[in-house]
Amino acid sequence: MWEYRKLILVKDTNTGKETSGIADKFMFGIRERALEEKVEVIRAASLEIYNQGVVVKILPDNITYANVTKDDIDLIIHRTIEKGEKIEALLYQKTEKQCRVVLRNCGVIDPENIEDYLARDGYAALAKILSDYSPEDVIEQMKESGLRGRGGGGFPTWMKWNFAKAQKEVVKYIICNADEGDPGAYMDRSILEGDPHSVLEGMIIAGYAVGAQKGYLYIRAEYPLAIERVMLALQQARDKGLLGKNILGTDFTFDLDVRLGAGAFVCGEETALIASIEGKRGCPSPRPPYPSVNGLWGKPTVINNVETLANIAPILLKGGKWFASIGTEKSKGTKVFALTGKVSNSSLIEVPMGTTLREIVYNIGGGVLNNRKIKAVQTGGPSGGVIPEHLLDTSIDYENLQKLGSIMGSGGMIVMDEDDCMVDIAKFYLQFCVDESCGKCAPCRVGGKQMLNILTTISEGKGAMEDVARLKRISRAMQKASLCGLGQTAPNPVVSTLNYFEQEYLEHIQNKRCLAQKCSSLFVYEIIQDKCKRCTLCQRNCPVEAIDGNRDIGFTINQDKCIKCGKCFEVCKFEAVAR
Amino acid sequence: MNKLSLQSFKNKPAKASKTNPNFIKVGLSTCGIAAGADTVFDILKNELAKKEFDLPVLRSGCAGMCYAEPLVEVNIEGMPRVLYGKVTEEIALKIVRKHILGKQILNDYIFSIKDE
Ligand SMILES: Cc1cc2nc3c(=O)[nH]c(=O)nc-3n(C[C@H](O)[C@H](O)[C@H](O)COP(=O)(O)O)c2cc1C
Repeated sequence: MWEYRKLILVKDTNTGKETSGIADKFMFGIRERALEEKVEVIRAASLEIYNQGVVVKILPDNITYANVTKDDIDLIIHRTIEKGEKIEALLYQKTEKQCRVVLRNCGVIDPENIEDYLARDGYAALAKILSDYSPEDVIEQMKESGLRGRGGGGFPTWMKWNFAKAQKEVVKYIICNADEGDPGAYMDRSILEGDPHSVLEGMIIAGYAVGAQKGYLYIRAEYPLAIERVMLALQQARDKGLLGKNILGTDFTFDLDVRLGAGAFVCGEETALIASIEGKRGCPSPRPPYPSVNGLWGKPTVINNVETLANIAPILLKGGKWFASIGTEKSKGTKVFALTGKVSNSSLIEVPMGTTLREIVYNIGGGVLNNRKIKAVQTGGPSGGVIPEHLLDTSIDYENLQKLGSIMGSGGMIVMDEDDCMVDIAKFYLQFCVDESCGKCAPCRVGGKQMLNILTTISEGKGAMEDVARLKRISRAMQKASLCGLGQTAPNPVVSTLNYFEQEYLEHIQNKRCLAQKCSSLFVYEIIQDKCKRCTLCQRNCPVEAIDGNRDIGFTINQDKCIKCGKCFEVCKFEAVAR
Repeated sequence: MNKLSLQSFKNKPAKASKTNPNFIKVGLSTCGIAAGADTVFDILKNELAKKEFDLPVLRSGCAGMCYAEPLVEVNIEGMPRVLYGKVTEEIALKIVRKHILGKQILNDYIFSIKDE
């Protein structure tokens, strides 16, 4: 029951600044009509609407107006506040862009309290299948749902389960892959920290479906809070009879344990992960045999990603059909993305498959940081690629992203603007894969290093025209001949930036220029003497004392000492530092 | 703790028993904590204790709005549900003084507001 005064919330959604004085005008109007006892005007920091001019939201009526101008104020006060009418011409209909299946409880419940999870239908799916479903029924529902692995590959989950189920072995395992190591990705961490039981429930159901008695959560050691909350959740689930012997009083027995990953990216690859749990060095091995046939300790093993597993309980509770009604023809359900980079609202989002990148960046992310021009969006991390601005209207699903030379990946999504250099981006991701290569196979170990050398020469302005062809040739060799996904996909960022931004590579090679001003060998900082006011700000801020001179004789930058950090450029108030 | 059985799920009342409509919730995942949410959590608890005001301060995971961390959700019966973002120590004190004790909504820090 609303007992508060009527609320007028105001926000200028274009400038990101306060309210261009409209809140004050509202306040004035309210006072003029002596309504201040009944109505209050509040400036909001966000009304979750973007680029719609001044937005005004009225509570408890729940009326939202967009593109409100000063001339509308009197009308709004008179008609909506005093008479309770809606002004059709100003109405804004907010359409919900996000859809929370995986993140249904994240930010809502206390992750350290199982009662909170239980109160929101937690473990109801488990109870339902244990009383009404055979393992075959569970797999049938999974098949109907169309759920595909969220760890990157997009393999149908039901098929994986079905393979493992068909094996005649007595001992089988379920593994949750929580090794999330892509730069810029934190979906799995947030799920484990915000709603650990949802993942446990998914694993227990998987155990029932394939006939496993034991499972492991492989979590990277760099996620201490996630580990702590999972351990606590395991204990609570055991105390409640949801794990261990005779789950919920039935004859189904299943238990879970945690194994820590030491932070090698390659250990996220399923065969390397299994080796790591077995106490061996985390190196991948050739497939087949696939883990569902011959996995942990030689036994049939289902290995699923955190987000995949968090989808299981809602699917079984609401039915595979319900899940399949969300998303596109071949990609069902939702996807969680970690939206970062040059976007106004860095955030963890969940959208139905088929949402476009443009909707994500502009309607959920609030647009590009500082209203700059977007250049590309990177998806799929070091195994993915860039999607240039003109393709942002592509709707996201596994197939579409692949067609564009990127991949869905696990869900990192990095927005890039004109200040991002594509050669530099390619170099960054390749460096990551070179560092993380386990060294077992030559294409990845040698090819990665050679490609990195070439990219470095290009970024230093020493590249040759043949380098582009050379990069493409080594890429093909790595993609074809590497042992595991790491090496096979490591060239993707290079291939994709070359595909869409070859001109930028040529600019570096032929004209020795980096237009984004990122490749520091290709430019110098200089002080423009005509503009310099000799305020000494740059000199005081230079971290390496590379700025010589004083107020009387003026200032110059000593190029031998300069590390090109750009500090002087940033602090100068008179645009007297050029690069 | 009592073990649950299949029966416990069948007998479940249609709607969970009446919960306290008054509470504050702080997002305490890695993203929130990195932005200082644990300090905000402590301040809210201490300040309410000092004022002898009985209001549970709860913990939750990441609500997804990483750009606005630390996030504090205030639920007071009769008032809209307000999600404050970018909450500093100072704002946390203001939330207690103005919003909770004074029943007065704060300017400039609302990141989501709903009539619920
Ligand atoms: C180099 C490399 C790293 C990987 N890292 C992860 C990871 O961090 N998390 C993950 O779930 N899958 C990762 N995978 C994919 C796994 O091998 C595997 O496909 C996945 O765990 C299967 O789960 P899903 O079917 O639920 O997606 C990685 C693959 C490769 C080649």
